[in-house]
Amino acid sequence: MVEADVLVIGGGATGAGVARDAAMRGFRTVLVDRNDLAMGTTGRFHGLLHSGGRYAVKDPPSAAECMEENRVLRRIAADTIEDTGGLFVSTPWDDPAYSDLFHSGCIEAGIPVEALSTSEILRREPRLNPRISGGFAVPDGAIDAWKTVWGCALSAKEHGATILNYHRITSIHRSNGVVTGATAVNEVSKEEVPISAGFVVNASGVWAGEVAELAGCRGVTVLPGKGIMIAMSHRLVHTVVNRCKKPADGDILVPIRTVSVIGTTDTEADSPDDVGIPQDEIQLLLEEGEKLVPGFRRARALRVWAGSRPLVKDDKASDADTREMSRAFALIDHKERDGVEHFLTITGGKFTTFRKMAEFTVDRMCAHLGTARPCTTAEEALPDSGHHRFYWLGARLARREETLNDDQLICECELISRRRLESAMEQRHTQNLDDIRRTLRLAMGPCQGGFCIYRATGILHSVERLDYGEANSALLRFLQERWKGVRPILYGDQLRQARLDDWIFQGLLDVEHLT
Amino acid sequence: MTAAGQGRIYDALVVGAGTAGLVAALRLAQDGADVLVAAKGVGATHLTGGTVDVLGYAPERIASPAAALPGFIRDHPEHPYARVGAEAVGKALGWFKAQFPDGALVGSLEANLLLPTAVGVPKPSTLAPETMAGGDLRNGGRFTIVGLTALKDFYPAYLADNLSRARLGQGDDGRVEARAVTLTPPTGGEADVTPMGWARRFEDAEFRKAVISGLEPSLDGGAVGFPAVLGLDSAPTVWRELNDTLGVPVFEIPTLPPSVPGNRMARSLRTALTRAGGRVVMGGRVVGVRATGRRLEAVVVDAAARPKPYRARDFVLATGGFASRGLEMDSYGLVRETAFDLPVTGMPPETEARWADEYLAAHPAARVGIGVDDELRPLDQGHEPVYDNVRVAGAALAGAEPWREKSGEGISLATGFRAAELIVELRGG
Repeated sequence: MVEADVLVIGGGATGAGVARDAAMRGFRTVLVDRNDLAMGTTGRFHGLLHSGGRYAVKDPPSAAECMEENRVLRRIAADTIEDTGGLFVSTPWDDPAYSDLFHSGCIEAGIPVEALSTSEILRREPRLNPRISGGFAVPDGAIDAWKTVWGCALSAKEHGATILNYHRITSIHRSNGVVTGATAVNEVSKEEVPISAGFVVNASGVWAGEVAELAGCRGVTVLPGKGIMIAMSHRLVHTVVNRCKKPADGDILVPIRTVSVIGTTDTEADSPDDVGIPQDEIQLLLEEGEKLVPGFRRARALRVWAGSRPLVKDDKASDADTREMSRAFALIDHKERDGVEHFLTITGGKFTTFRKMAEFTVDRMCAHLGTARPCTTAEEALPDSGHHRFYWLGARLARREETLNDDQLICECELISRRRLESAMEQRHTQNLDDIRRTLRLAMGPCQGGFCIYRATGILHSVERLDYGEANSALLRFLQERWKGVRPILYGDQLRQARLDDWIFQGLLDVEHLT
Repeated sequence: MTAAGQGRIYDALVVGAGTAGLVAALRLAQDGADVLVAAKGVGATHLTGGTVDVLGYAPERIASPAAALPGFIRDHPEHPYARVGAEAVGKALGWFKAQFPDGALVGSLEANLLLPTAVGVPKPSTLAPETMAGGDLRNGGRFTIVGLTALKDFYPAYLADNLSRARLGQGDDGRVEARAVTLTPPTGGEADVTPMGWARRFEDAEFRKAVISGLEPSLDGGAVGFPAVLGLDSAPTVWRELNDTLGVPVFEIPTLPPSVPGNRMARSLRTALTRAGGRVVMGGRVVGVRATGRRLEAVVVDAAARPKPYRARDFVLATGGFASRGLEMDSYGLVRETAFDLPVTGMPPETEARWADEYLAAHPAARVGIGVDDELRPLDQGHEPVYDNVRVAGAALAGAEPWREKSGEGISLATGFRAAELIVELRGG
C-alpha cells in the first residue's frame, strides 16, 4: 500500500508540474504514469518554448501568459532551454497585413518584439527564403521536454514525492462521493499496487476522459487534435522560425539540440492512442518547409512522429472553471460537475504554461482541503538548473573534449560517452533502451542508432546484468520503435542511412535470428 | 588501343569500386582487356565482414547453397541469381577463391559455414578468410570470446551469452559452450581505439606478446574468438602466430564497420587489379553519358577540374543500391539510378506498402533496382535493352534483399564475374 496526500495521474509536463508543486507545498505526493514519463503529448511536440508570439493576434491573454511563463522557465529550468530566440517572417505566401496585427498584438501582450529588415533576418538566418519581406524577433526558445519533466519529477522526489512510472491506474476508489485513492498495476512486474490518497489529480491530458471515467465521472470529452512533426537532420536554422501569419499547418521550424523540427498539422484523431502518420501530411510539411528554407525537400529528414493536443469539449463543466484563467486549458472541478469530491481534472494547455497550470490546480486543491499553502515553483530552480546557465549546442562537445582520451564515445551523433551512458543506465535502472534514448538523446541523430544501439545493448547487458533474452529483446524492441519513426519518411540520404543500418543489423549482426 | 587522352578508348569501363566492380574489372584485366574503374568512393566492401555470403536464408537457414540455388532460382525468377544461373555462381566462386593464396579463403558452395556474429548469432557464410574459419559452429565446441577494454564495438559477454544458446538447427547436434574474457592490453592511454587502430597494434610483435600473456591464464583448451582486428596487411601472419603460441584454434569475429576484414578484402581486390594491369580513378561522380542509339559511347565523369568523358567499348555499371547511392529516392518517392539514369523497376505503387510495418519483415521497396536480361543488360519498361554494351552488376540490380537472404557478396561476385565473362566472350577470349 502506497499512502499519500495527493495522487497525480499522468506523468506529462502538467502531471509532473502538479506533483512538483504539491510536493513543494508539503503534500506527500505520488506521481503515476502508465508509460515512462513524458511519453504522451509532452514528449511528442516540437520543443518550442513559446514567447507567446503565436497567440499574439488570436488570443492575447494566452500570449501574455506564455511570455510570463517563458520568463519563469528561463529562471528555473535554464539547463533544459536553449536561448535560440525566435523570428516571425513574412513569406510571399503570407498575408502582409498580418504583420501589423502581429506587432501590435505582441506589444499589447507584453512580448518584447523587434521589427527586423529582410537583410537583417537573412544575415541571422542565411538559409531562409530570400523572398521573405521582413519580420520580427521575439524571445522564443527551444526546450527539452524530457529533461524538463524529469527535472520536475526529480525535484518532486527531493521534496518527498514518489514517482511510479510504468504503472497503469486500473481503478479509482471512492467512498461516499469522496475519492480515496486508486489501484495501479506495475506494467513491468504486473504487480497490483494499491494507493491511498486524500486527493486525486487527473493530469492525463488527452486520456483525461478515460481516467475521469474510472472515478465515475462520465462524459469528460477530450478530443485528440493530432499533429505530426518531422525532425530534420542538423540545424537548418539556429533561431526558431515562425511564419508571420495566422497559425496553420507546417508554419514553424524549431532548432533543438542537433536537429530542426518542423511542425505541425492538426486533424481530429479517432483515439488518443492513434499516432499514425498520414503520407499527405508529410508532403504538406515538406511543401511548407520549402517555403521557409528553399531546398528543404533535399535536406535529410530523420524521423517523424505524431502527438495529440487535448482539446476539451465539456458542456457540463461550468464557465466558472476556466474563466479566471485563459481558455487555453481546462480545470474540471468534479465536485461541482459530478458531485465527486477531492478529484480534479486538469487538461489542455501548452507545454510552456505547464507550471502555471500546476499552480492553478494545486491552489484549487488547497481550497478544497481548506489549507492555504503558497506556491514556490516559480522561484526554486529545477535540479541541474541551479547554475542558471542555458543549454548551448556546444555543451556536449565541450564535455567530450575534456575526456577525449579517457572515455569512449558510444553515440557519435549525440556525443554520448560511455561513462555518461552507464550512469544513466544505473540511474534509470531500466531494461528499455528507449528510456535511455529519451534520457540522453541516445540514437536521435543522423544514424538513428545504427552504430550506438549494438554498443548500448552490450553495455546494458553488463550494467543491468541482463540475461541474453532480456538483452536481445531490448535490442529488438528498440529497432522496432526506431523503425516506426523512420519508415514513413524513408527517402534521400536517410534512406541511404537506413539501408546502411540494415546492413549492420541484418547483414553483419544477423539480429533477426536472435533467440 | 590509343595513347592516353581524350581519344583513348578503353576496352571496358567499370563504374564503381565495390566488390562487383572490382571483380568485373579484375576478370577483364586478366583477359588482357584495357580496363578502367571509375568510382566516386571506395565502395562498400569495407562494410562487409570479409566473408562471402552466397545464400543463407530462404527463408529457412540454408545448409548447402549448391543444393538450394536451383530451387531458389525457380522460386525467385526476378532475383539476380536467376539472371546468371546457379552454374555461374559456382564458377564465380571457384574463380574468386583462386585469386587468393592457397587456403586463404575457406569454404565451398556445397556447405555454408556457420560463423558467430558480434551478437553471437551463427550466420551462414559460404566463404570466409582462414582467420575466421575456426569459429565455425556446425559441430559445436568450446569457445572463449576475447574482448578488449578499449574497443567499443565488441561485447564478449553478450556475444558468449547468445552463442551458448545458439539454435543450430537440424543436423547440427553439437553443443556450443562459450564464455567471455576481457583483456586490457596497453593502448598508450587511449580509451577509445578504433578497429583499424587495433589492427595496426596487432601488427606489432611486442603488443601481441602482451595480449598473449594476458590471455594465457584464461585458456581452457577451447577455441579463442577475437574481434576481427588481428592486423591488416599481415593478418595471416598475426593469426598464425596467435594460433601457434596459444596452442588452440584462434578465429576472428567481424563487427561494426568500417570493418577490418572488409578492408582487407577491398585491398586484396585492388592490389590484384593493379597487378593485372587495371587502373582505378577515384573521386569522380558520373554526371552524364554519351550514346548513339543503343550503344553507349562514353561516360562523363566530374573530375577535379572539369567533366571528363571516358570512352569505352563495353561498360559495367556497379554503383550499388540505396546504401551506396547507386540508387536514390526523392521525397516524392521517385527512384532513380544515379550514374546512367537507367530505368528502375520494382517500386511498389503508392497504394501498396513500400516498407513493412515490422522492421525485420521483408520490404518490397528493398528489392527495387535495375531490371536486366540474362546478359545483364539494363531493360526498359518494354523489356528491351537500353544499351547493348552495358552490363549491370551488384547491389544496383533489382529483385534481391541481400541482407535478409545473406546473399550480398554472392550477388556482387556472381554478377560482377558474369558481366566480365559476357564481355570476354564478345572479345573472343
